Amino acid sequence: MSAKTEPPASSSAPGVHPKPFWSFRPRSDREAGDAVVSNFLLHWFPAKTYKPSLDWSYSFWLGTASAALFFLLVLSGLPLLLLYVPSVERAYGSVKDIEFVVTFGSWIRAVHRIAAHLMVAAVFLHLVRVFLTGAYKNGTGRGQRREWNWVLGVVMIVLTLFLSFTGYLLPWDQLAYWAVTVGTNIASSVPFVGPQMRELLIGGRTIDQATLIRFYVLHVIFLPAGLGALLAYHMWRIRKDGGLAKADRWTPTQEKTEASPAKSKTYSLLGVARGQAPAIRAVTLEARDTTVNSVNDLVRRISIVVLGTFAVVSILACFIPSPLEEPANPMITPNPAKAPWYFLWLQEIVTDTTLKIGSFTINGAFLGGVILPTLLLGLLTVWPWLDRSPAGAAGVWFHASRKRQNLVFLLVVLLVLAFTIVGTFLRGPYWNFYWPWEAWPELPTRI
Amino acid sequence: MTTKTDPPAGAAAPPAEPNSRRDFLMKAGLGAGVVALVGQAGASLRSLVPNVSYDAPTTVKLGAPTDFPDGMKFLPDERLFVFREGKTFHAISAVCTHLGCTVRAEALSKVEEANVEGKPLRLTHRFQCPCHGSKYSGDGTNETGPAPKPLAWYQLSVAADDGQLVVDLAQEVGHDFRLTVA
Repeated sequence: MSAKTEPPASSSAPGVHPKPFWSFRPRSDREAGDAVVSNFLLHWFPAKTYKPSLDWSYSFWLGTASAALFFLLVLSGLPLLLLYVPSVERAYGSVKDIEFVVTFGSWIRAVHRIAAHLMVAAVFLHLVRVFLTGAYKNGTGRGQRREWNWVLGVVMIVLTLFLSFTGYLLPWDQLAYWAVTVGTNIASSVPFVGPQMRELLIGGRTIDQATLIRFYVLHVIFLPAGLGALLAYHMWRIRKDGGLAKADRWTPTQEKTEASPAKSKTYSLLGVARGQAPAIRAVTLEARDTTVNSVNDLVRRISIVVLGTFAVVSILACFIPSPLEEPANPMITPNPAKAPWYFLWLQEIVTDTTLKIGSFTINGAFLGGVILPTLLLGLLTVWPWLDRSPAGAAGVWFHASRKRQNLVFLLVVLLVLAFTIVGTFLRGPYWNFYWPWEAWPELPTRI
Repeated sequence: MTTKTDPPAGAAAPPAEPNSRRDFLMKAGLGAGVVALVGQAGASLRSLVPNVSYDAPTTVKLGAPTDFPDGMKFLPDERLFVFREGKTFHAISAVCTHLGCTVRAEALSKVEEANVEGKPLRLTHRFQCPCHGSKYSGDGTNETGPAPKPLAWYQLSVAADDGQLVVDLAQEVGHDFRLTVA
């Protein structure tokens, strides 16, 4: 069967599929085949990879590291799932058992906790990398929708933070209890619907069993399932958008060269192609030597990153013990009561943003805890549509045309980091300011 | 890449007639599916809104008035400060109005006499929040920090049966409230 090699007008650049979804009702053999080719479950992984996508110093493989950490969190979460009891009477005791009684329990818990901390950091750095390289921009390939992959990424970072939040309150210690108190009171500061939202979140008006089981189920089922599904789609989109943004400039010459005829496994397996041993004669637009086979080159590097991540976490977990505070005590708030480091910038902001305009007061909980983060996330989400730099700026670190927005972005990142540092190192009892060399005053721990 | 075997579009399955029975049944089936899914999702969500509250009651007996020392007593269970000045009592909430942490009382080095909402009040303490550093004066007025409003004052009464002090944590009162026990 000889083939006429003129592609139909609707065809797109190699590796790029113009349709966001595939057809469940194919009208032709071609569509039936495409349904498989476009199915992200079957085509998560590219057959060939552009060489520049493999650079260590372009992406730092932060996305892969984040995914590895997520995978490790699922793995280390499995034994914990069997050891932890989500009840207010027994949660603290079961975590204490994991820490002090169960063989290797403290190590498994440390792996889970350290992987979670590192995942927040890795996901954040991944976002910074993608912004600074303009990798959410569509380059020269046709049918790219990189901006939507960026939006997916923003949703995924929010899910990551929710996973952390729901995770650290499971031990039901003081940190947990007061974190839920503050967190859900932030939700409750929203005008009109706030109190109802809080009630739905904690399953009543006081933080109790209903709260614990809700956060537990979110932590072990809904959030990981959601993040896992989005992760799969995130990966699939990278492939359909023609690989990493850096590879765009390597894509194709418009010269067609004859590729060697190959039997099409996909078509013959499906049985959609008629005749025996269908062979597809095809042309390629790829310049020679721009790609390598994913197996081995991509697989090898992914293995290095994933195994390296696992090794780092496993070793750190041997040396960094996981803290467990006193059992939750609704009567006494610890002094100071600090959130984990990645929420301390928010704790600092809700402290500083109560506004008084005449006799009218806006609670910092609403301004700093709801409005400001929503604005920041909203701006992040729509940024690809506000970025007017040329397509050539996609996939380039600090491209000259994106100088100003990179500076503004870095400024916001630095502010968040500065607030985090102030909250971590410079705040003492009653959230008062202390220099690191100043001693905190001796205060009674109980009234 | 393309092959010659591509049939012309529409050759495999002719487009369905707009008003055919098949079309109608497909739409009815899809519609029923959507209705079922929305209904089940709605029912699942509604089941998460509690119908019965097992929260602690808001009206609580605190003990005999004579059990309270002159000055201030902190009741952790109710997160409440009860103040006594001879025969008069008042109660101030220990729940910070910013984000709900429990504030801590700090005794003043010198007792102050103040006039709050037209009534004299002896101020023995001030309050500070450990979470975000809000500071309140002795009558609960927010002074510095992110707290948006004063600490709540709650209604106190004397139980008819045994003469215990009773607080109503659902009933906020003004800063001029005093309970006088004979």
